[in-house]
Amino acid sequence: MNRAQLENFIAYLKKENWVVFGPSKLATGKPEPIEISPYLTAHGQMPKQEPTVFIGALDQPSDLILDQRLPFYSFKKFFFPEKEILFDYRNNLLAEQDDHTKIALVGVNLLDLKAINLYDQVFEKDKYYQARRRNALIIGHAIVPNIEDNIFEYKYEEEVLEHLPFDIFLATSATKNFKIFTGSIKGQRILEAFGYTDYEHVQYSGAVKEKDKDKRMEEIEKGLVNRHNQKIWDELGKKCLECGKCSLICPTCFCFRIDDVPTAKNCGQRQRCWDSCFFKEFSEVAGPPRVDKQGRIEAGGHKFLKNPAERIHFWYYHKFVRIPEEFDFMGCVGCRRCAKVCPVGIDIFEVLKEVENS
Amino acid sequence: MHNSYRTQSAKIIGISWQTNNIKLFRFEFEKKVLGHSPKIKPGQFMELSLPGFGEAPFAPCNAPDSDYIELCVRSAGRLTEKLHSMKIGDKVGLRGPYGNGWPVVENNKLPLAKQNVLIIVGGLGLVPLRTLILGKEKFLGKESKVQIFYGARNPDDMLFRHEYNLWKKNGIEIELTVDKECANWKGCVGLVTGLFDKKEVVQNSTAFLCGPPVMYRPVLEKLLAQKFEEDEILLSLERRMHCGVGVCQHCAVGPYYTCKHGPIFSWAQLKNIPSAI
Repeated sequence: MNRAQLENFIAYLKKENWVVFGPSKLATGKPEPIEISPYLTAHGQMPKQEPTVFIGALDQPSDLILDQRLPFYSFKKFFFPEKEILFDYRNNLLAEQDDHTKIALVGVNLLDLKAINLYDQVFEKDKYYQARRRNALIIGHAIVPNIEDNIFEYKYEEEVLEHLPFDIFLATSATKNFKIFTGSIKGQRILEAFGYTDYEHVQYSGAVKEKDKDKRMEEIEKGLVNRHNQKIWDELGKKCLECGKCSLICPTCFCFRIDDVPTAKNCGQRQRCWDSCFFKEFSEVAGPPRVDKQGRIEAGGHKFLKNPAERIHFWYYHKFVRIPEEFDFMGCVGCRRCAKVCPVGIDIFEVLKEVENS
Repeated sequence: MHNSYRTQSAKIIGISWQTNNIKLFRFEFEKKVLGHSPKIKPGQFMELSLPGFGEAPFAPCNAPDSDYIELCVRSAGRLTEKLHSMKIGDKVGLRGPYGNGWPVVENNKLPLAKQNVLIIVGGLGLVPLRTLILGKEKFLGKESKVQIFYGARNPDDMLFRHEYNLWKKNGIEIELTVDKECANWKGCVGLVTGLFDKKEVVQNSTAFLCGPPVMYRPVLEKLLAQKFEEDEILLSLERRMHCGVGVCQHCAVGPYYTCKHGPIFSWAQLKNIPSAI
C-alpha cells in the first residue's frame, strides 16, 4: 500500500462513519503545550528540537503524520478517558450511558500498542471499556528498523507483532510503501470491504512471549522486592513535587476515582476520572479529621502513604511488581514520556538503573 | 455485559443509635428472592451508594442467614452524614460483597492450625467481627473458644453493648477496656494492649485484629511477645476502595489489593510491606 492508497483508506473509513484520529498536529513556534523541563534546560540537557507531534482528529487524510516521533500524549484517553460518565443519576436512580461512537486510531506506535495490552487485561471485566474497545479500530504503525529511543530495545519484527493488539498494522519499509498486516478478523473485514487484499495476517498470541521471559522485568522486580533500598526512595521523595504529571502522561497509569458530580438539584453524574497515587488524598480513609459535639477530635483522615517517598515508591511498585505479578509483563512500555514532563528531572531510566544495581 | 458498578436498591427497614455519632442501619433488598439470604461471608465488605454523595465501603455485621443486611456507620463525611439523616423507608444502593472474609469452618473444620480465636478490636473495628460472633457456632465451630479484647474511648462508645450478655451466654469471653477513667465504669482502663497484662489470653489461639491504624503495631508487639506465629495473626485492613474489584489502585498494599485479596491478611503477608499498617 502506498501513501495515496492509505489516504484513500482513511477517507473510506470516514465515509463509513468512523471518527479517525492519528498523529497529525505539529507544535509550531506559536505557544503550544510543549513541556520543556526547566531542570533539563538548566543542566544543558535540552531534548532534540524536533517539533512535537500531537494526536488529533484527521480532518483531511493528508494530515496524518507517520514517522518515528512518539506523540506527546499517548493514545490512552481513547481507551480510558480522563473523565467518563458511569451513570446519570436523578434522585436515587442510576441510569447507564451508552456511547457507540466508532473510533479509528491510525498510526499507533509500538509502545502505545503495548499499553493497549495492559488496558485489555486491566479492564477485562469493565463494561464501559469493553464497549469502547468493540467500537475501536486500531491501526498500528512502525518504521523498520527499530525505535532507537526505546529504553527496553524492542526490535520490530513479527515476533513483536504477534504480541501486540491491533486490527491493522502498517509497516513502513525502505521503499516508503506500507506492508500491511492484519491482527483481527475485524481488520481483515474492513480492508476487504475497502477493496485491499494484499495483506498478511498475524495471529495474536497473547501479550507475553512464552519462550523468553523478560529478564529485565525480573531483575527490576527483584531489586524492588528482595533488595528494597530506602535511600533511593528517600532521595526521590526529597526531589519529587507530587505534581502528578508523570502519571497523567504515562500510557500505563490508570488509577481512577469515582465521584458524584451534581449537574442540577437532585441530579448529576457518577463519574470515573483519572487519579494519581502522587496526590496526598489518594490513600486517605474516612474523611478529614473533625471535632465532634463534645469538642473531642475525631480520628480520621489517616493516610497510608504518608510522604512523597512512600508515594513515589508506590508508583514504581505498581509498574514493576504489581503489574508483572498480575499479568506477567511490565507496567511500563519504556516511552520515557514521564521523564520528559518531570519538572525536577526525575528520569525513570536512571531510577531503574539504581534499583537494579541496589 | 455485567456492569460491576451497578448497585442494587435496598430500603432502610431499621435504624438504631449505637453511640452519639454511630448508627446501625438495617437494609432489605427491594428485589427479594424468597427464602434466599444475601451470601455474605463475615469480614467481607459492600459498597454503599447514595447518588450525589458517592460510594464508600462498609462491612456488613448482621446475624448470619438474615434476609437483611446491617451496616454500622459513623457519621464522618458527606456520604455518612447524608445516610445519618435518612429515615426508615428511604433507599440506598448496595453492591458487593467483596473480599475474602475471615476464615470460617469448611467441611466441619476451621482451616486454622490453632482452633481458638482471640479477637482484638478497637472502636469501630468490632463491626466486621459481629457476624462472626453472632454466628460463632456456624463459623468457628462448637469446640473453639472465642475471647474478645475490645477497647473503646469510653463506655458509651462501646458498640453492641446490649448484646454482650447474650454473647457471653454463647460461651464467648469478652474483656473490655476504656481509654480513660470515668464515672460508672468499674472495668479496665487503658489501651486494648493493656488487657494482655491483665487477662489471661486464651491458649492455642489464632488472633483476629481489626481497629484504627494506630492500634496495629502495639497489638502486634504483644502478640509476637506471646509467641503467636506471624501467620496466626490475621488483620483486617482499612482502605478507601473506590472500585471494589481490584482495579482503581486506591487499596493496593504491596502486591495485594485489599478489596480482592483482603481485606483480611496474615501478618506474614504484610510484615515486609512498607505502609501496610
